[in-house]
Amino acid sequence: MARLTSFTDDAKIAFDNLSDAALNLFAPPLRLGVTGLSRAGKTVFITSLVQNLMHGSDRLATFEPVAAGRVAASRLEPQPSMDLPRFQFEDHLSAIADERRWPTSTRSISELRLTIAYESASAWNRALGPGQLHIDIVDYPGEWILDLPLLAMSYEQWCAQAIALSRLPNREKLSAPWREALARADAQADQDEAVARELADRFTDYLRACRQDSHALSTLPPGRFLMPGDLEGSPALTFSPLLLEPDAAARRDSLHYMMASRYEAYKSVVVKPFFRQHFARLDRQIVLVDLLAAINAGPDALADLQTALGDILSCFRPGRSSWLGSLVRRRIDRILFAATKADHLHHANHDRLEAILRALVETAMREAKFAGARVDVSALAAVRATREMVVRDGGEELQMIAGTPIAGETIADDVFDGETETAIFPGDLPADPRQLLTVGKAGGQRFPQLRFVRFRPPQIEAHGDGVTLSLPHIRLDRAMQFLLADRLA
Amino acid sequence: MSDKARKPRAIGIERRPGRSAKAGPRQRKVDAAARKPHARSDLPALSEVPEDEAQRLVDDMELRPPERTSRAFSWMGLFLAAAGGLVALAVGLSIDQLVRELFARNDWLGWAALALAGLAALAVAAIALREIWGISRLNTIARVRARAEQAAASGDLARARGVVAELRSLYASRADLAAGRERLAGHHEDLIDGDDLLKVAERDLLGPLDTRARKMIMASARRVSVVTAVSPRALVDIAYVLMENLRLIRRLSQLYGGRPGVLGFWRLTRNILGHLAVTGSIAVGDSMLQQVIGHGLASRLSARLGEGVVNGLLTARIGIAAMDQCRPLAFVAQERPAVTGYFTELVRLTGTGRDEPSSERPAKST
Repeated sequence: MARLTSFTDDAKIAFDNLSDAALNLFAPPLRLGVTGLSRAGKTVFITSLVQNLMHGSDRLATFEPVAAGRVAASRLEPQPSMDLPRFQFEDHLSAIADERRWPTSTRSISELRLTIAYESASAWNRALGPGQLHIDIVDYPGEWILDLPLLAMSYEQWCAQAIALSRLPNREKLSAPWREALARADAQADQDEAVARELADRFTDYLRACRQDSHALSTLPPGRFLMPGDLEGSPALTFSPLLLEPDAAARRDSLHYMMASRYEAYKSVVVKPFFRQHFARLDRQIVLVDLLAAINAGPDALADLQTALGDILSCFRPGRSSWLGSLVRRRIDRILFAATKADHLHHANHDRLEAILRALVETAMREAKFAGARVDVSALAAVRATREMVVRDGGEELQMIAGTPIAGETIADDVFDGETETAIFPGDLPADPRQLLTVGKAGGQRFPQLRFVRFRPPQIEAHGDGVTLSLPHIRLDRAMQFLLADRLA
Repeated sequence: MSDKARKPRAIGIERRPGRSAKAGPRQRKVDAAARKPHARSDLPALSEVPEDEAQRLVDDMELRPPERTSRAFSWMGLFLAAAGGLVALAVGLSIDQLVRELFARNDWLGWAALALAGLAALAVAAIALREIWGISRLNTIARVRARAEQAAASGDLARARGVVAELRSLYASRADLAAGRERLAGHHEDLIDGDDLLKVAERDLLGPLDTRARKMIMASARRVSVVTAVSPRALVDIAYVLMENLRLIRRLSQLYGGRPGVLGFWRLTRNILGHLAVTGSIAVGDSMLQQVIGHGLASRLSARLGEGVVNGLLTARIGIAAMDQCRPLAFVAQERPAVTGYFTELVRLTGTGRDEPSSERPAKST
C-alpha cells in the first residue's frame, strides 16, 4: 500500500504521542478502537461492554480479572478529548433495556472513558502500579476508514476507480441516474456550482441506494457523503468523480479543476485530521462485521464486504508495540474481528460463522500477525436477544432459536408483528466457507437455504429492588479477555 | 447448492439401526422441507428436546473410550485362582467342622459359633461392597476426566454440559463447595463454548479444592523433611516417609471426591507411581538441578538436613502426581503446582537457604 502519511504528518503524530505519554506517565490509558460498517452493532457492543463491566461479575465468567475478583469497581469518567462527542451510554442503555429497541445508529465518531480500579495479580505490580486503568473507547464508523486509501490516491485515479466500480453488474442499475448526468457534464467546461451540486447529489443518492438492506453493499468511499455531519453542503462534500480523458490536464477554472481541488480539500479537511488525531493513536482495535446481513443480501454483498474489509484492514498499523517505540509511534498490537449478532444462530453454527469470517479476513490476518500483532476471530453477540431450543419435528431435531423478531421482518411467508415470541430455524451454514464465498465471486442470486431474522432486544429481568441485571451476551467476555485482560494483569 | 449442503448431514444423522434402507430417500425429502428457514410461533406446542436427552444423543455418537484390554490368559493366574479357591474351600470346611464339633459338645456353643460365622460373612460382604463402591467411584472420576478431555478437544457444548453435570453430582453433597456450585449454576446459560464451560467449572469447583490440596502437600512435605532431619535411625524415617506419603495420597483422593477402599487405594497408588515414572523424567529439567544444589548446599551443613530436603521434595512430587490422578479434570485453567514452589519453602524450613539465615526458624539438629 502506498504511504498514507507524509513526513510532517508522522512528526505531528509522534508529537501527539509524546505529549500523551508525558501527561499519562503513571496511568497510561488504553485506547480501544471500535469500528465496523454501519449497522454492524458498534453502539450495542460498547453499551453492553460498559454495562457488563460496571455491573460486576455475574456474566463475565471468562474475563479473568473480573472472574477472579480483582476488579474493585468500574466507573465512567470525563473523557480526555474535549472536541469529541461523548458516547451517550445512558441513552443507548435505556433504549435497549427499557424500550426494548436497538439504539439509533451513531453517525460519527464518539468517545467514552471507562476507568477500572483493579488489583494486579502480581505482587510486584501491586507495589508499584496505581491499580487503575483508563479505557478510552473510540467509536468511529468503518466507512471513515474506507476513506484512508484516498490519501494515497490522486483525483484522476479515484475517478477511474469509482467509475469502474459503478459499472459492475450489481451496481449498474443503482448508478444509472448518476452516470447519465456524468455523460452530460463536460469536464473541460467552465466550473459551475449548479452542475457540481447536481452531480454530487446524484452521486450521494447512488451511494445511499447501495447501502439499502436489499443490497447491503459496503465499498463506498467517500464515507462522509453518507454521514456528513456539520460539513453538509460545504464545498468539501460537494464533488463527484468525472468522466475524464486519459492524461487529461486540468485547465484552471474548469469543472475538472474545481472537482479535483474539492477532492483535495476533502482529504485535508476530513480524512487527514481523523487519521492523525484518532486513528493513528489506537492501541487495540475490534472490527465488528455484520456477516449475517451480507449473507441475507446474497453473494454480491458478501463479495463486496470482503473487498471493504480488505481495504479497512490495509489501513491499520499493526505491530508489536514496545515501551520506547510507543512513545512516538503507537501501534495496534491486538485486533479482534468479530462477527456480530451470533445470537441469530444456534451455537452449533457459530464455528462455521467464525470460519467464514476467518476466510474473509485471512490475508489481512496473516499480514498483521507477520507484523507482530495478535489477531483473533470470534463470533459474538453483544446483547443476546434469543434463547436456543432443540425441537423435534417429524423425526428430525432442529436447532432453533426463539426470540421476538422485529416488526416487518419476514421469513418464508411469515411476516412478524414485533410482539409475538417465535422460534426460528434460519438454516444451516455450510461447513466449508468457500461454498458461500466462491458462489459470491461468480455472482448470482441469494442463498435460498439461509435466512436470518433480526430480533428485538430481550426482556431484561430486574431484581425486586428495581436494579436491572447485566445484559446477556455471547462471548463478550471472551472478547474482553482478548482485548483488555493483559493490561489488567 | 442447497442439496449439496444437506446431503452429508442427512446421511450422518438418519442412519440408525432398525430403519429400512427404502425409507431413506423419502425421509430425506421430508427433512429438506423441514431444513428450510422457517418460523414457528406456536411455541408451547413445539416438542422441545430436553437438555439431558440432547446430551445423550451426543453421547450416542461419541466415541467410547477404548475398554481396557482383557488380560491375556496366564498359567500363573490360573494357579493363583485355583489355589485361592482351594484355600477358601479349606477355610469354609474348617469353619463348618468347627461349628459341628461345637454343636456336638454343646448346643449353645454351636449356635454362638454359627452366629459369629454369620457376622463374619456379613462383614466380608460389606467390605466387598465398600471396595466395589470405592473402585467404581474412582472409575467415575477417571471417566469424567476422559470425557472432559474429549469435550475440551471437540469444544462441544452438549458434551461439556454432560461432564459438568456429572461433576456437580459428584460434589453435590459437599457443603464446602456450595458457593462454587452456585456460581457455576449461574454461568450455565451464559457460556456457549464447551471448553470455556469446562474451564469455568474447573475454576469454580476445583479451585477451592486445589488450594486445600496444595496446603496438604505442603504440610506433609514439611513434616517429612523435619522428621527425616531429626530422626535418629534411617529405618525410622523410611517408615515415616512411607506412611506420610500413603496418608497424603488417601487424603488427597478423599478431598477430590474419591473414597478408595483397600483395593482402590492399591490401584490408585500404583497409578500414581506409574504417573510419577513418566512425569518425573519430564520434571528433571526444572527441579532436578535445584534438588542437586539443595542437596549439596544442605549436605555441606549437615547430611541429615540435605536428606530432609530431598525427602520433602519427594513427598511434594508424589503429592502433585496424586493430584493429577485424583482430580476429575486435568489442569487447564488452574495452574499445576510445581515442585520448585515447594523447594524454597523446604530449604527455608530446614534453615539451609542462602537468603534465609537460620535465625528465623532455628534448625532442630545441628
